[in-house]
Amino acid sequence: MLVIRSEKIRHMLGTALPFAIMPALVLLLPVGVQAQYYALVSFLMVVLALLLFLSGFERRELGTRRMILVSVMTALSVIGRLLPLIKPITALTILSALYLGREAGFLVGALSAVLSNFIMGQGPWTPFQMLAWGLIGLFAGIFAKPLMKSRLLLYGYGLLSGAAYSMLLDIWTTVWTYKEFTLHEYAAALATALPYTILYAVSNLLFLMIFTKPIGDKLMRIKKKYGL
Amino acid sequence: MRTYDAMNPLAVAVQLLLTACITVFCMDPVLLGLSLCAAMALFFMRNGTGHKGFHALALGLPLLFMLLNPLWNQHGTSVLFFINHRAVTKEALWFGAVTGIRLAAVLYWFRTFSDLMTSDKLFYLLRFLSPKLALIFSMAVRNLTLFRQQMHKIQNSQKALGLYREKHLIDDVRGGIRVFSVLISWALENGIITASSMAARGYGIGKRSSCTNFRWKRQDIVLLLSALLLAGTVIVLIAKGYLERQFYPVIQPPVHGAFWYTAVIAYAALALLPLLHEGKEALIWYRLRSNI
Repeated sequence: MLVIRSEKIRHMLGTALPFAIMPALVLLLPVGVQAQYYALVSFLMVVLALLLFLSGFERRELGTRRMILVSVMTALSVIGRLLPLIKPITALTILSALYLGREAGFLVGALSAVLSNFIMGQGPWTPFQMLAWGLIGLFAGIFAKPLMKSRLLLYGYGLLSGAAYSMLLDIWTTVWTYKEFTLHEYAAALATALPYTILYAVSNLLFLMIFTKPIGDKLMRIKKKYGL
Repeated sequence: MRTYDAMNPLAVAVQLLLTACITVFCMDPVLLGLSLCAAMALFFMRNGTGHKGFHALALGLPLLFMLLNPLWNQHGTSVLFFINHRAVTKEALWFGAVTGIRLAAVLYWFRTFSDLMTSDKLFYLLRFLSPKLALIFSMAVRNLTLFRQQMHKIQNSQKALGLYREKHLIDDVRGGIRVFSVLISWALENGIITASSMAARGYGIGKRSSCTNFRWKRQDIVLLLSALLLAGTVIVLIAKGYLERQFYPVIQPPVHGAFWYTAVIAYAALALLPLLHEGKEALIWYRLRSNI
C-alpha cells in the first residue's frame, strides 16, 4: 500500500486520515460540493475511511492472542443480541476498547455491525453503522485511562456514544432521503429519531452499569493470567 | 450449468453494488423504474413466489412513504387539496412516489446481495484487503455457532441446577445475564487456548499460502469488465447532469436527449446482466438436453 519511510509519520497519518480529515471533509462538504453529489461523496468517504483503517491494520503487530480475543468479543456482542432484552454491542465495544486497546475497540465495533447485519439485513447504511460503532470503540480506547478510573465518566461516555451513534446515522438518513444536507432537514430527522436516540443512550447506560464490573473483571483476569 | 451465484464473488459483488449504488444516487423515474423491475425479476427468478412477508415490507414501506411525504413536505407550488390546513402539493406527491420506488428497488437489490454474498464469499473478498482481518472475520463467524451451542449447554445445566422459576420475568432476565456471563468466561479461555494452539502450529512465523474455491474463468472476466464499463458510462453521464431531475418548487419537464437514452440503455444492460447470464445458461442447458 502506501510507502512512507518514517514510522512516526505513517502512524500519525494512519490515525489522522480516517478519523480526523475524512469526517471533517464529510461535514464540510455542503460548503464546497454541489448538493446533488453530497450523498454520493459522503458515502464514498465513509467507505474509504473504513478501507484505509482496515488496510493499515495488516501492518500492525496485534499478537495472535489479542487477535483471537477480538474475534471472540465480536461474536459475543453479536450473540448477545439473540438473547431476550439484551443489546450489548455498544457496551461490549467500549469494554473491549478499554482492556484490549483502541484498534481492538474499532474492530469489535465495526465487525459486529457487519456480522449482526447478516441477521438484521445489510444495506447502504452498513458502512455508516460500521464507522459509528468503530469510532465509539476507537475513542473509548484513546480515553481508556480516565474512563477506567472514573465510573461516572464511563457512564457519561455511554450516554454520549448512544446519542452520537444516532446523530451520525441521521446524517445518512437526511442525505439519502433529501439528496442534500441542510440543517433544517437534519433537525427534522433528529427530531423524528429522538425516541430512538434516548433509547440508545439509556440502554447503553444500562448495559454498561450491568456489564462493566463482571466483564471488566474477566478481561482483566485474562490479561493478567496470560500476560497480554 | 453455472448459475449466477456460482460466478466469481468479486464480479458478482461489483455488478450488484454498482447497480444498487446508482439506484441510491439517482432520481430519474425511468431509470428507477427499470431498476425496480430488474431487481424484482431477479428476486422472483431466484426465490419463486414465496417470501410474501418481504414483498409486503419492500412494497408497503415505499407506499407508506409516498402517502406520508406530501403531509410533512410543504415545498411544492401546485396545491391539490388541503388536509387539516396543510397543503398537499402535486410536487410532493411525485417526489414521494419516486423516492418510494427508489427505496423499494434498493431493498430488493440488497436482499439479493445478502442472499448471494454468503459469509464465505465475503471472506474471499476481504482477503484482498487484509489476510489477518479475514482470519478474524471468519473466526468470528465460526464463533457465532460455537457460542450458541455452548449457550444452550449452559442454559440446560442452569435449568438442571434448579435456578429458574416457572415463567418469571425478572428471573428470566437475571438468568439470561448469568448465562451470558458464564459464556463470556468460557469464550475468553477458549480463545486463549485456540491462540496457543495456533502459535504451537507455527502461526505468525512466516508467510502463509492459502487456497480458495473461487476461480477466474472467462465468463467472470467478461461479467466484471462489462459491469465496470456500463456502470462507468452511467456514472459519468449522471455526474454530467444528464439525468438530473428537480421536483421543487415546480417539476421540471424531462429532457430526453441522446445522452439520456445512452445512460438508460446502459443502465438497463447493467441491471439485467444477472438475468441475461441465467437466460443464456438455461438456453444452453435446454439445447444440450434436447440433443440427447
